[in-house]
Amino acid sequence: MLPIESAELVAIESSLRRTFAGFGYREVRTPLVEFADVMDRAQEGGLGRVFRLFDDHGQVLVVRPDLTIPVARLVAGRLTDHPGPLRVSYVAEQLRPPPPGKAQRLEERQAGIELVGLSGPAADAEVVSMLVTALTALGIDDLKVALGDVSLTRAVLDGVGVNEENQARLQVAVRARNLVAWKRIAESLPLSDDTRRLVAELPTRRGGGDVLHELADAVPGAEPHCQALLTTLSLLHEHGTADYVMADLGVLRDWGYYSGIVVEAYAPGVGRPVAVGGRYDGLIGRFGAARPAVGAAVLLDRVHEAIAARNGRAASIDGVVVAGGIEVEVAAARALRATGVVVVGVSDQAGVAEALAAAEGWRFVARRADAGFTITDRTDNRTVRCAELAEGLRSLRS
Amino acid sequence: MICVPLGALFAGSVARLRAAGLDVSPLDDAGRRLVVDAPDGTRYITTRPSDVPTYVEAGAADLGIVGSDVLRESAPDVYELLDLDFGHCRMVYATLAGGDPTPGALAHLGVVRVATKYPTIARRHFAATGRAVEVVKVNGSVEVAPLVGLAHGIVDLTATGRTLVENGLIEREAILDASARLIANRVSHKILAGTVDTLIARLEQGLE
Repeated sequence: MLPIESAELVAIESSLRRTFAGFGYREVRTPLVEFADVMDRAQEGGLGRVFRLFDDHGQVLVVRPDLTIPVARLVAGRLTDHPGPLRVSYVAEQLRPPPPGKAQRLEERQAGIELVGLSGPAADAEVVSMLVTALTALGIDDLKVALGDVSLTRAVLDGVGVNEENQARLQVAVRARNLVAWKRIAESLPLSDDTRRLVAELPTRRGGGDVLHELADAVPGAEPHCQALLTTLSLLHEHGTADYVMADLGVLRDWGYYSGIVVEAYAPGVGRPVAVGGRYDGLIGRFGAARPAVGAAVLLDRVHEAIAARNGRAASIDGVVVAGGIEVEVAAARALRATGVVVVGVSDQAGVAEALAAAEGWRFVARRADAGFTITDRTDNRTVRCAELAEGLRSLRS
Repeated sequence: MICVPLGALFAGSVARLRAAGLDVSPLDDAGRRLVVDAPDGTRYITTRPSDVPTYVEAGAADLGIVGSDVLRESAPDVYELLDLDFGHCRMVYATLAGGDPTPGALAHLGVVRVATKYPTIARRHFAATGRAVEVVKVNGSVEVAPLVGLAHGIVDLTATGRTLVENGLIEREAILDASARLIANRVSHKILAGTVDTLIARLEQGLE
């Protein structure tokens, strides 16, 4: 990653950290590498798609393939006395081997939050709203967020009498985002015509509260879950984030992992979600005392892509290239730096300062002239003469 | 932006979209142009069938039409929304007519050699049936492979079975039924929810 790209990413991360901190989320750090026998507890049958390595005693280690699992472990292991609710955030990388035949980055940097110890719509709404707030604060104001609910979908399927085996088949279909397969399975179920249609159309239902009211009427067993999601949606109004969010019962991701809401955020022009999350009440209990939890993560590369597509490259970087600042004008450069200005010192050979400023995008170039200096603003080509660098800079900026 | 496959599924794709009420006339006389704009503002891109999921997965196209054989082979991360009920064909395992060489191949040296354009589907089929397989990836004229001893059999698509028969091959095992599908980019499916759902409803009407 080049300096300009890194600077953009730093700006994105600072903005996200500010939003997270504003909701009272405090940053934690977790190990990159952990013992496999611990991390494998996160998933039935152990973690899939992870880098495994050996230490010098032959112990198997895993590189964290996910950032929620280490946080769950931290919470279950070291924060057991915390009365809760616990609000934590992180900015870190996860590493995964790419699926066979796919070109995909191994390393993915994420900025995320977890709200531990609270179940129910209020917690869900806080996390969804914070995600919207964080992304809109970055300038992604044409954002869209889709909200599904694993527990609601399961309650509907349970409520109409779809057995575990068929639910497992439906889960495979929805995980592959294959709505054709879902419909085929639904149509083969031993149900009444109306119910069969309801199940077949379930993952295609989306929109506002009306979708949930209809479902609650049709399947009494799912009524409490529909009510809960309706409450979440109405809380989003209070948070001022409801306009970005739609209910979408096809957003379920992995329903072995998630236990309640599932959220995905989209930015136009980026072909994959820019943030994902959901409720995972079963995870922390795998590492210690069970606690409900809901969280979300912003996928930084994709957000970076979305923002770069909108803003383009910054035209100039605020700073002064001082010709001679590395050898003959060191003191002048130091004095300017002391006023809080970014100063780059280069040799005073002809053209060196200008060439560097053009290559890296620095806004100002200064060089010695007679008793004082000249400073040029490269954005509008104005030049001033001045006795002191700080003074010339002030007049160019005013 | 809709990605339409060139080749066998092209005519059917255009017909389905037309039946759904879209003005697809620019596709009829596109000539060699690969990107055409319809009066309603929809942009169509035409690509090789196997490239359709690539464009849609990356978001270069919002929607696409592609055979389910291609989807099973490349497993792209896209929404598979609708069976468009045309372009029906079957993926089969075929060998030369006469005695099936497969059991013999497995009994001796323990592995059956299969030529195919669909290595993932072929591998999965033999793994699911508990047989060792060596997949030879070829890019065309798969039927030749058993004739010249490159492979014991082939895994390929067939609509009528004529090409198999003409090359002295016989179907031994059915693997899957394929047909044309409507797919959507993960983000377009949500951002353009209204447009996508309307198009699906109209396509479904056209299918009834």
